[in-house]
Amino acid sequence: MTQERENNLDKEIKDLQSLAENLVSYGRSLGAEEIEVAVATGREFSVNVRLQAIEDLTEANFRYLSMKIIKDKKVASASSSDLSLETLKDLMRKAVKRAELANKDEWAGLPTPTEPYPDPASLCLYDPEIACLEPRKKIELAFETEKIALADSRITNSHGASFGSSEGAYILANSHGFSGFYKATSCSLSLSLQAGDTDNRVEDGWFSSKRFFQELDPPEAIAKKAVERTTRLLKPQKIKTQSIPVIFEPSQTAWLLGFLFTCVAGTSIYHRASFLVDKLGEKIATSQITVIDDGLIPGKLGSRPFDSEGVPTRKTIVIDSGILRNYLCNTYAARKLNLSSTGNAEGGGIGPNNFYLVPGELSPEEIIASLDRGLILVKTIGHGLNPVTGDISRGAFGLWVEKGEILYPVSEITIAGNLGEILNQIELIGSDLKFETSVCGPTIKVAELTVAGE
Amino acid sequence: MILCNHFANLSLRDLQLILEAALSQGGDFADIFMEYRHYQAVTMEEDIIKETGETIIQGIGIRVISGEKTGYAYTNELNFEKARQAALTAATIASSPRPIEIKPLVTKEVLSNFYPLKISPNQFELDKKIDLVKEVYAACLRFDSKIIRVKVTLGDVLQWVAIANSEGLYIADIRPMIRLTCVAIAEDKGKREVGFAGTGGRIGYDYFLEKHPVRLIGEEAAQEALKLLEAIEPPAGEMPVVLAAGHSGVLVHEAVGHLLEADFNRKKTSIFWNKLGQKVGSSLVRIIDDPTIPGFRGSYNLDDEGTQPKPVLLIDKGVVTGFLQDRLSSKIMKQPLTGHGRRQDFTCFPLPRMSNTYIDRGEHTPEEIIKSVKKGIYAEKFEGGQVEDSGKFTFTISSGHLIEEGRLTVPIKQATLIGMNIDILKAISMVGSDLAFSPQTGTCSKEGQEVPVSDGCPTLKIEKMTVGGQL
Repeated sequence: MTQERENNLDKEIKDLQSLAENLVSYGRSLGAEEIEVAVATGREFSVNVRLQAIEDLTEANFRYLSMKIIKDKKVASASSSDLSLETLKDLMRKAVKRAELANKDEWAGLPTPTEPYPDPASLCLYDPEIACLEPRKKIELAFETEKIALADSRITNSHGASFGSSEGAYILANSHGFSGFYKATSCSLSLSLQAGDTDNRVEDGWFSSKRFFQELDPPEAIAKKAVERTTRLLKPQKIKTQSIPVIFEPSQTAWLLGFLFTCVAGTSIYHRASFLVDKLGEKIATSQITVIDDGLIPGKLGSRPFDSEGVPTRKTIVIDSGILRNYLCNTYAARKLNLSSTGNAEGGGIGPNNFYLVPGELSPEEIIASLDRGLILVKTIGHGLNPVTGDISRGAFGLWVEKGEILYPVSEITIAGNLGEILNQIELIGSDLKFETSVCGPTIKVAELTVAGE
Repeated sequence: MILCNHFANLSLRDLQLILEAALSQGGDFADIFMEYRHYQAVTMEEDIIKETGETIIQGIGIRVISGEKTGYAYTNELNFEKARQAALTAATIASSPRPIEIKPLVTKEVLSNFYPLKISPNQFELDKKIDLVKEVYAACLRFDSKIIRVKVTLGDVLQWVAIANSEGLYIADIRPMIRLTCVAIAEDKGKREVGFAGTGGRIGYDYFLEKHPVRLIGEEAAQEALKLLEAIEPPAGEMPVVLAAGHSGVLVHEAVGHLLEADFNRKKTSIFWNKLGQKVGSSLVRIIDDPTIPGFRGSYNLDDEGTQPKPVLLIDKGVVTGFLQDRLSSKIMKQPLTGHGRRQDFTCFPLPRMSNTYIDRGEHTPEEIIKSVKKGIYAEKFEGGQVEDSGKFTFTISSGHLIEEGRLTVPIKQATLIGMNIDILKAISMVGSDLAFSPQTGTCSKEGQEVPVSDGCPTLKIEKMTVGGQL
C-alpha cells in the first residue's frame, strides 16, 4: 500500500518534471531569455470533530503551476490550477507578449547557477507513513483528543478537534538548467475549547504540527495542554494602564519573530519599508539575542533543500549576539542590496525557512519566578504591526504575576511597544524552543511594555 | 441566462450523474460548485511597471451533507470522470446506503444584477490598465517631496460560477471584481511612515473613467503617510472614542457581524447564541448585512450555494433580530436561507459569511458628536481587527486625531482598541447621520477562507473604550 502510493507520487513527479522542462523549452522557443516553471502537487486530508461527531471531512488532490518569464529584462508571470498543456502553452504565449508592456528591470533575472542543493532525503522531509495512514486512524485521533478534553467539567463548549495531513512534492525547472524536486509531508492535530458560561466565556487551544507522524504529540498531551490553557483564563480581571515587565510565552515570541522576519526581509529593506534599513553591522538587540534562519535542519517544518528559485537553502545568522548580520533575500532583493541570496525565495517574494531565536538556559518556571510584578502574555488578537516604524499594538490576554506567583488572568488589555526597543529590552531567554511552527522562539522576558487597561 | 463554455464539458445530465454518485452512500443533500476564475494583476514600484501577472483558477468542489456532517472533495480538472471520483470520495461521509432521490436539474434564472459595469475587466486592454496604475503612482509621488516610495497594485478578476444541487437547482453567475491600491512611504528627518489607500468593488473600469478619478487614490495614500510624520503616540487607557464615518465599519464587522454568523450560534460558541430577541446594545444601534448593494465588494447575485441573497436586519434598536445563514445552519436551526453561504474557492465548502455590513444612520451631525467629547480620540483610518467567539474584539487604527475640548487636534499614530462586544454596543451613545462605507478593498478571513467584504458606519461615539497607546 505504502509502496504503491509512493510509486504513484514518484511517477506523477516524473511527469510533472518533464512538463515543467517542456514548458521551459517552449518559452525559449517563443523568444523569452529566462524562464522558470514551478509545480506543486499533492494530496490533502482534514477532518474536524466537534462534540464527538464528525463535522466535516475533506480529501482531495491539488495541483498548481506557476511560471515566470523574462524577455529584454522585462518580467511577466502566470499561474494556473488547470494543468492541461494547451492552457499552459497559451498562458506562456500571453506572458511573453505581456512582458513587452512592463518596463526594463535591470535587477530581474534567474539566480546564477551555484553549487548543487543537498539531497532531499538527508533533510528527512517525507514520511511514507503519512501517505498510507488510514482515514479511520486520523478520525480516531481527533475524536480521542476532544474526548479527553470534554471529560473536564470546566470545559463548557468546543470548537472541535482537527487532524490534517498533506503529502506532496515541489518541482522546479528553469532555463539555466536547473531541474529538481523534493517530496514533503506534514501532519497536525489541534484542539480549540471554551470554558465558562455564555456571558463569561474564555477560549484557547493547543496543537502539534510535524513532518513525521510518529513525532506528533499524543492526544493526551494536546488535550491536557488545551484544557490548561483555556481554564487558566477563567474569571479574568482588568488592570490599570501601566508600564510593566512582560514575559512572552513561546507562542507569543513566535509572532514577535514573525514580525522581525518581515523587518529583515530584503523586500522590506530595498523598499525602505523597515525600521532596520541601513542597520547591517549595528547593534540592534541585547547581546543575548541570536536569531537564525536555517533551511537545513533535518525533519523540521521550515526545512527544504532549495527555495522557490532553486537556490540551495542554508543556515544564515540574522542577528549574532545582538548585531544585525544579514538580511534575508531572494535573488532579486539580493541584487538590489548588493548581497547574496540566502535561499529565502518563496512564491514571488521572500519567506522564512526555520526562523528562530536561539534558546537560553532558563526554564520558563525560572523566568516566571524572577518576575516581581508583571504580566505573562499568553494570547494576542488583532494586527497592529507596522514594519516601517517597528510599532506594535495588539489586543492581549495574560496572567498577572506578583513575586514570582501567578495570581489571576487578565483580559481586555492591549500591549503597545516598538520592536526596536523590545529587542534591546529582552532580559531573559528560556530554554523551551520547540519547532512546532517554522517561525518559533522560546519564552522571553521583556523589561518594559505599555499595557493599557482601565 | 449565463453561458459559460468553461463548463461546457459537463452537461446537466453529467451533473445529475455526479450528484447521484455523491449520494450513493446515503446523505441528505449534495451540491456541485464549479468555478473558473481569471485574474490579471499589474504592479508598479520604483518608478517602473515591474511585473504583470495572469492566473487561472479552475475546479469543481463536491459536497455531501449527511445530518450535520459535511463530506467534501474537489478536483482541479473540469471533466466528468474526475468530478465523479471526487463525488465518490465526498460520499463516504454518509454511511446508510438507501435510495436518494435526485430531482431533475432545472436551470434557474438569476433575478437581479448587482454588478453595475459597462467595461468588464476582460474588455479593458492591459495597456489601459497600466495607464491607470501609472496615474495613481504619479499622483502619489508628486504629491510631496517627502514621499520616497510608492507601490501601486491593480488586480481584476472575472469569476464564472455554476452550482447544481440534489434539489434540482442549476444556476450560474459571472462575478467581476477590481481592486486598485496604493502604498506610500514618506520620510522626513530620518523618520519614516506609511500610508495606504484604495478602492474597487464588483464594478467595471468605467467606474474609474467616470466616477472616481484614480489620482485620488495616490493622493490619499500620500496624505496619510505625511500626516503620520506629524503624528504623536496615542494615549493609553480608557477614554471616549469617536469613530469616523466609513472606515470605522470594521467595528461592526468584528464586534457584531462575525458572532451573528449562524454556525457560531448553532454551535453555541457565540455570545449571541441565546440572545435572539434580546436587547444587547444601545437603542440607537441598527445593523444590517446587505449583499445586494450594487457594485460593492461584498455583493453577489447568488451566494456560493446558489441562493439569491437578501439583506438581513441583524440588530434593530439594540435588539438581536437575525443571523446570517448558509444551507447547513439554516436547516439545523430551522430558519430561512438568507444567501450568506460563501466560499473562498472550489477547494473550500461554504460557511455563513458577511457581505456588506453596516450600522445605519442616526440623527446627530458629526460636528455635534466631536463637540460632545472633552478628551478622547477620533479614529479615522483602520487596518483591521479580530474577534473571539467570547465577544472580545480588537481593531487597529492606522491614523486619527486627539479630541481636546470638543475639537480635533494633533494627529495620532497606530493604536489597537479592545473591548467586549456587548459592552461596546451598550456604550454607543451618539450615531451620526453621515453613513459612509469603508474603501472597497477589504477581505475577511474565517477558518482559513478569505472572501471580499465591505463595511460601513456613520460617525459614532463610544462613551468608553480601552485604547492601547503609550503612557
